[in-house]
Amino acid sequence: MRLQLAKQLLDRQIVDADGRLVGRVDDIAFAVDADGHPYVDCLLTGQGALGQRIDGWIGRLLVAVADRFTDDPPVPPLRVPLAQVARLDSAVRLRCPASELPPSPVESWLRRHLVDRIPGSHRASG
Amino acid sequence: MRKLLAVTLGVLSAIGGFVDIGDLVAASQAGARFGMAHAWVLLVGVVGICAYAEMSGRIAAVSGRAVFDLVRERLGPRVALLNLVASWLVTVITLAAELGGVALALQLATGLSYLLWVPVAAAAVWLVLWRLRFELMERIFGLAGLALLVFAVALFALPTDWARLGHGALHVGSAGQGWSVYWFVAVALFASTVSPYEVFFFSSGGVEENWSTRDLAHARSNVLIGFPVGGFLALSLIAVAAVAYHPSGTSLDTLDQVARPVATALGGAGLAAVVLAFFAVTFGAALETGLSAAYAAAQYFGWQWGKRVSPREAARFHSVLLVSVLLGVLMLMTTVDPVRLTEYMLVLSAVVLPLTYLPILVVANDRGYLGDRVNGRWTNLLGALFLLLIVAASVAAIPLAIITRMGR
Repeated sequence: MRLQLAKQLLDRQIVDADGRLVGRVDDIAFAVDADGHPYVDCLLTGQGALGQRIDGWIGRLLVAVADRFTDDPPVPPLRVPLAQVARLDSAVRLRCPASELPPSPVESWLRRHLVDRIPGSHRASG
Repeated sequence: MRKLLAVTLGVLSAIGGFVDIGDLVAASQAGARFGMAHAWVLLVGVVGICAYAEMSGRIAAVSGRAVFDLVRERLGPRVALLNLVASWLVTVITLAAELGGVALALQLATGLSYLLWVPVAAAAVWLVLWRLRFELMERIFGLAGLALLVFAVALFALPTDWARLGHGALHVGSAGQGWSVYWFVAVALFASTVSPYEVFFFSSGGVEENWSTRDLAHARSNVLIGFPVGGFLALSLIAVAAVAYHPSGTSLDTLDQVARPVATALGGAGLAAVVLAFFAVTFGAALETGLSAAYAAAQYFGWQWGKRVSPREAARFHSVLLVSVLLGVLMLMTTVDPVRLTEYMLVLSAVVLPLTYLPILVVANDRGYLGDRVNGRWTNLLGALFLLLIVAASVAAIPLAIITRMGR
């Protein structure tokens, strides 16, 4: 598949099989095959990955904020194997539901320490 | 019949989305100081917001993506982050001003100091966002906001010189207050008409309500009826202030003074309607700005957002929402006067306007997202002309604020 990575893949929204929002393509991990050709291995998503890509003090701030809201920093980026990508249109659509991927540490932390403690957090208001 | 009802309800939401504390303050101050000389600003603002709301509604319906969602793809993570920070800050300041408006309306109703009402208003806003259904929420406050029509009614009971009002609207003059003050007020009124959160909210709301291309006509009619009606309400605010205050040139500093001519003309019932209207439009706008602040952050980072999923599944979205409301309360608890806060908020809104409107125009021309539903030639011409005005207002806002010392 021929693709302009920076234009068509980087920064796109990642959507799971049920339409849930997983994150954005914050960075891309490459690997090298036996013949020495580089190929796209994984899509990386998470505030840490974004922070490292932006770099500078702003990037470090993003990483620091993400690390503050987790139990065991540093937060590794969520790796989405390219094989999980079903298609690519205005968003990156996955084959699997988000529950099959590791959860975002910051989301889980805020859920546990803040949102779940408020009554009614289990019901959607629509 | 059901379709007609749906359109009416959609229009109500658009009206509710249009009028807020910014309009109450800016329109009344313009009327009191310059008579009808700023009527044209409202007209221009309404035409512009209609064009851009239509574009963002179309983007939401065709691509299923909200405006801020696309900003990062088009501008890259660094510039989009700058955009996010600026838009989020201005939206939170707007939220604070709206909460102040709710508290002032409750002060008008009860006589108790608004500072006591601020935490109550904030808790109520947060609770509605946590629990109430999206459509219901929009419609209740849109409908109650129509009570603002009492300003148009009051014009008939006040000693209104219609010929003079019409003349004032057509013959623009600076009423002896200097042109820099005239333009400062014009920029503030313009910013109140085209507040950035209106388009964030409109497009994100479209995504929440699962618009598709079949809803395009519906979305368009909401915009093309709702926003002009909102503009008419703002015009009647200018007119009432012009009739009641312009002859003596009094300057308006409180919401109380905005309400007084209606109470004089229509008595207790008029005052009750005004208080209801103030409450409804500021409360409705507080809901919208709170959501918009959280939408912007969630869409930049790609988090799950929205009211369709339970809060625990959108924990980061709801955390930002909560923090935004708390920040709004903190700002008001410094005892800053909510009307002054609104004036500063309008200047800052004017400055950040291009950050919202430029990406909409760019995306509305992108076939990758919109296929053959990209802008036509006339829409682009209108959009480009309006963008020039926005950039002019943005550049002029701070210098005018300094030269005129915030219009004093």
